[in-house]
Amino acid sequence: MRISSFKKYFQVAKTSWSGGFVYRLNFVMWRVRNVVQLIAIYFLWFAVMSRNPTAFNYSTSQMLTYILGTSIIRALVFGQRSIDAQGEISSGDLNNYLVKPISYFRYWFSRDIADKLLNILFSIGEITILLFWLRPEIYLQTNPLMLVSFLLASLLAMVMYFYFSFLISMTTFWIPEENGWPQRFFIFVILEFFSGGLFPLDILPPAVYAVLGKLPSAYFLNTPLQIYLGRLDLSQIVTSLFMMAFWIVVLRLLANRTFRKGLKIYGAYGR
Amino acid sequence: MADKLKRLRIYWKIWWTSSILSVESVLENRLGVAFLLSGKIVRFIFFIFFLVIINRQVQQIAGYSLNQMITFFLMFNLLDLFGQLFFRGIYWFRDQVVTGEFDFKLTKPVSPLFQALTRHTDILDLPLLVATIIFLFRQGITLTTSQALVFLITLVSGMVIVTAIHIAVAALGVMTTEVDHTIMIYRDLSMMARVPVDVYTDSVRALLTFVIPIAVAYTLPAKSLLGLVTLPTVLLALVISALALTLSLRLWHYALTQYSSASS
Repeated sequence: MRISSFKKYFQVAKTSWSGGFVYRLNFVMWRVRNVVQLIAIYFLWFAVMSRNPTAFNYSTSQMLTYILGTSIIRALVFGQRSIDAQGEISSGDLNNYLVKPISYFRYWFSRDIADKLLNILFSIGEITILLFWLRPEIYLQTNPLMLVSFLLASLLAMVMYFYFSFLISMTTFWIPEENGWPQRFFIFVILEFFSGGLFPLDILPPAVYAVLGKLPSAYFLNTPLQIYLGRLDLSQIVTSLFMMAFWIVVLRLLANRTFRKGLKIYGAYGR
Repeated sequence: MADKLKRLRIYWKIWWTSSILSVESVLENRLGVAFLLSGKIVRFIFFIFFLVIINRQVQQIAGYSLNQMITFFLMFNLLDLFGQLFFRGIYWFRDQVVTGEFDFKLTKPVSPLFQALTRHTDILDLPLLVATIIFLFRQGITLTTSQALVFLITLVSGMVIVTAIHIAVAALGVMTTEVDHTIMIYRDLSMMARVPVDVYTDSVRALLTFVIPIAVAYTLPAKSLLGLVTLPTVLLALVISALALTLSLRLWHYALTQYSSASS
């Protein structure tokens, strides 16, 4: 990407960042929702682990760190504005972008970056308050290699989810009803469970984990946090990172191809 | 009395007609229905599976067995689906306020609150509601007459509280035009009752009992079904539900005086 092109998308990200502060109440309410969801699942696990401190082969500190950690990783991986793309396809607003000298993918990726930054900032603030309030046992990773791998895995998960989510938005070309919400809702439900949003996936029966652990969804939350907790050895970490890179390539190709195919049948409804 | 009955019949007819229209409009998009319905069912199954997974290694959570935890979850579903099935209209209410369409509701000879809450009946929640009731029966719980009476009282109290919260959300919608998030925050808070509120700390429990009475609405009926409720608690449930309804209705009437009819 050339510098002039980078500046263009940087400006998009900057505008999106400012937009986040325009609808402040909306954003705060959204974050309140996240905190409520986190508290609900945290206390459930706290109740489970307080009487069974070594259940599921996890220490209490590891399990609670996993649950609290999902909040920050969620903000990084799942925080997005690009979900609006499906509404644009459905309403015909996509036309506005097709006539402009910008890449639709890069435009939304830039907006996502701004949204993720905003969400991460708030998420860190929320977690800090929760740590002071709840004073849970926290697992602190000190191995630099693990920390770097964790950061890398989190970034790869973010890119992976961007293409995955875009692919879901692209289905709106074929199923435009209700702005593509029904199929998105279905994927949300599946992801909540399969990404490890409620619990670490390795507490599942080995046969189930053997399958779920290999799906792309497992890399969104479960893998980065497993790395942070030091539950994967070096060879497993390297394999996971390679698999994530592989999925990024596959999902990117799929998303690009689906977008091109979608454009061929795009009817600009509502325009 | 005859007048009241006549009015009730009118309201029934309006609700029935709008429900039929809702069903027809939803069924227009069959693939969408398939996704939404599947999502709701999968979410239900996943949570039960989640509880089973925990139970594989932990016999009790906060002193409750797996079967009891499932009862709490089913009762949560029953009341949650009651709210979603009948009061789904609240999700579209913000648009009416923001665009000024609510003006038209105010001029009709039917309660605007009734119109706001029941404008849309979500038929997609019906299959899961029926399934939940069947599962509750299959839990094999036997109740004495007095326990059944206590259960009914707490269940009705729960429904009243759920209704009151929806009224309060509608009132806040008129005053602030912030309905989408308010109702979703309520939904997230109510999700805390998928498990007994005993798992939370005292401060969170107090918040869920006296400030936003989620615990009284969702947990108490489940506890009464399990025979774990005392008479003073039932009386407290009655007082809280009556208070919640009264306050929400007052808030609604106050909100109407603040309605600015913007954009119309």
